Amino acid sequence: MTFVGLLALALLAWAVLRFAAGYGRRDPALRQLSAREYALVRSAAEAAFPPGGPIPLSGIDARIPEHIDRYLAALPARNRVLIRLLFVLIEHATLVFKAPGWDGFRRFSALSLEQRMAVLEGWARSKIQVRRLVFQGLRAVLTMGYFACPAVLRAIGLAPLAIETPVVDADLLFPPIGQPRSAIRFGVEDRARTVARLPLDPHGPLHPGFGETSA
Amino acid sequence: MSDPRTWPGEVRVFADYQHDFTESCDVVVVGSGPCGAVAAYELAAAGKRVVLLEEGPPFTPSDFELDGAISMARTMREGGLRFTMGHVMPTMQAIALGGGSLVNSAMCIRCPEYRFEEWAETADLSRTSRSDLEPHYDAITDFLGIAPTPDEVQGPRNLLFRDGCKALGYSSEPCPRNVVHCRGSGECFTGCRARAKQSMDISYVPAAMRLGARVLTSVRVEEILSNGRRVTGVAGCVVAPFSGAPGPRFRIEAKAVVMAAGVLATPLLLQRSGNLANTSGQVGEHLQFHPGTSVLGIFPDPVDPVFGATQGYQSLQFLRDGFKLETLWAPPGVLAVRLPGLGHAFQQELLDMRYATVFDAIASCDQSQGRVRERGKSLQPTMRWSFHPDDAAILAHAVWVMAEIFFAAGARKVVPGVANHPDEMHSLAEAEALRKRPPRAGDMVCASTHVFGTARMHGDPRHGVVDEDGKAHDLDNLYIADTSIFPLSPSVNPMFTGMALARRSALALADRV
Repeated sequence: MTFVGLLALALLAWAVLRFAAGYGRRDPALRQLSAREYALVRSAAEAAFPPGGPIPLSGIDARIPEHIDRYLAALPARNRVLIRLLFVLIEHATLVFKAPGWDGFRRFSALSLEQRMAVLEGWARSKIQVRRLVFQGLRAVLTMGYFACPAVLRAIGLAPLAIETPVVDADLLFPPIGQPRSAIRFGVEDRARTVARLPLDPHGPLHPGFGETSA
Repeated sequence: MSDPRTWPGEVRVFADYQHDFTESCDVVVVGSGPCGAVAAYELAAAGKRVVLLEEGPPFTPSDFELDGAISMARTMREGGLRFTMGHVMPTMQAIALGGGSLVNSAMCIRCPEYRFEEWAETADLSRTSRSDLEPHYDAITDFLGIAPTPDEVQGPRNLLFRDGCKALGYSSEPCPRNVVHCRGSGECFTGCRARAKQSMDISYVPAAMRLGARVLTSVRVEEILSNGRRVTGVAGCVVAPFSGAPGPRFRIEAKAVVMAAGVLATPLLLQRSGNLANTSGQVGEHLQFHPGTSVLGIFPDPVDPVFGATQGYQSLQFLRDGFKLETLWAPPGVLAVRLPGLGHAFQQELLDMRYATVFDAIASCDQSQGRVRERGKSLQPTMRWSFHPDDAAILAHAVWVMAEIFFAAGARKVVPGVANHPDEMHSLAEAEALRKRPPRAGDMVCASTHVFGTARMHGDPRHGVVDEDGKAHDLDNLYIADTSIFPLSPSVNPMFTGMALARRSALALADRV
């Protein structure tokens, strides 16, 4: 084998190692995220929301990866690709935008917490608009996942308030999505039921899904 | 009150379609957003047999998601991930019965007189003045109960805007909205749990059904059928909610077609239906947006922003300068994206959100235009749009004005959210940097939900797609009733003017069919 052939073989082996090897097994509870995507999302969630901070939940505690899995499932198939490309880009961009340290060329999910934070800071502060947009995209996905956690919203004081929903004509016409009209559970008597119409009390009870008993 | 299940009209949902079908009617209306819903109602009220088609499903309160990401993925086309090419900017269009009215902030602002005069001059219009449209604005106002947002549901974060404007001598006013008995949940963008917002799915659409309209949801129109100068109906297929998986095919034969599919879908459907109504070459051209950007301010005392109307106050002070100012609230996770920092510093910023309020500016952007074409055969748009430097400069000035209002209202810091400037500004003196070194287009994080112009109204058939009644110049019985017919920006939120024009079109059509 020639030197060039050996070099090509070595590069191929390195590429396989970098892009595929060393990831954990896929969590069967996840519907969308692959093992590689899960590793990236988990490591990015930890970098964006590390433990021990002023909000007593890390990105992992807030189950950001699980939220992103649900988010991907809710997206149209074509648009999932965009998010997946974003993950690949962040995971392997350290080839071009190296993390601090002698081992800074490793993939994002293999870096230390400090290195990952430095990498994300680099994306956030980049002079290149597209790079900033990529960072904003990643942080948007992570942040919305963080805020999907009821305990985080309670800690920040932004949990939604309880609201009694009145029944209107439309509720007697339209079933919940995906169900037949026979699934409509309201009648004329429900429409006549009186519910509060006053402004909400900002310090009133929270939405049942966001109270102290919620995760 | 009658039982809606005894009304002469009907609704069909995804579970109702088992086989291919063909139906006929007087008028088929494509799109159940604010413009289509008004048109369907007025035509039904005139005694016409109306079929209203909607690609999305009806959303009930049990379908609403408070989680901003999941909500957008479910209610927005392309999962809320649409963006323009050229200048990259997110833009969102809803896919639901009621269209954007399900997930917008319900602002109903009349286009100012001077703007209509500019429309008339630009597009050779003779009967599209403010006074011409006033009866239509009034009728819709009465129907939906449009009224200024009352003080008791403004909450501190809206009233701080008022106070800041007042301190600087700028005008401000409560936003008129199609909301009745608002409770101030600030949840307009994810669906109103209080059922206070009079979105089309709970107002005009049921009212049209009461008058006999048939409402077919989860159906996607793929072609407008035509023969010479006449359209004969539309054809397409049933689509599953969210996945869009195709199902049985359908055909609606009609004496007239009203396209109200929106600024992006209407021109695509015309283009893919044999380049219909396009001897002027204007279909898909003149794509315009109101790019918007927001600034966040942190106050010394808690603002408790979970309470208050989503967008309760506005200022029209700078309308003639090219921008409009508003208050804004959105799912907290969406707003938090604007805060600076990473790690613990970011978490510290998040804790400030209880003290936060947000203002936004939308710019008229008359010089920034683009075009829309179909992406392959996907029925999805590819939009190319450029942000003219002069328009970007106007929006950049708005960022400074918002910072000024924040400090006048007593903010302790402002987060301008622009690149190449400090993340936080703690005084008006620090914010001066925004005036001295205005952000460029690429420095600002912009988005837009206000779109118009791709099938413009023009008095001269050589330069426009439709006449002042919304009738296609090239065809005898095709009408366009959405904001694609705007020849220019209305400078204010476009929904109300779109509805007024749709009402006028529907009344004109009712006399002819």
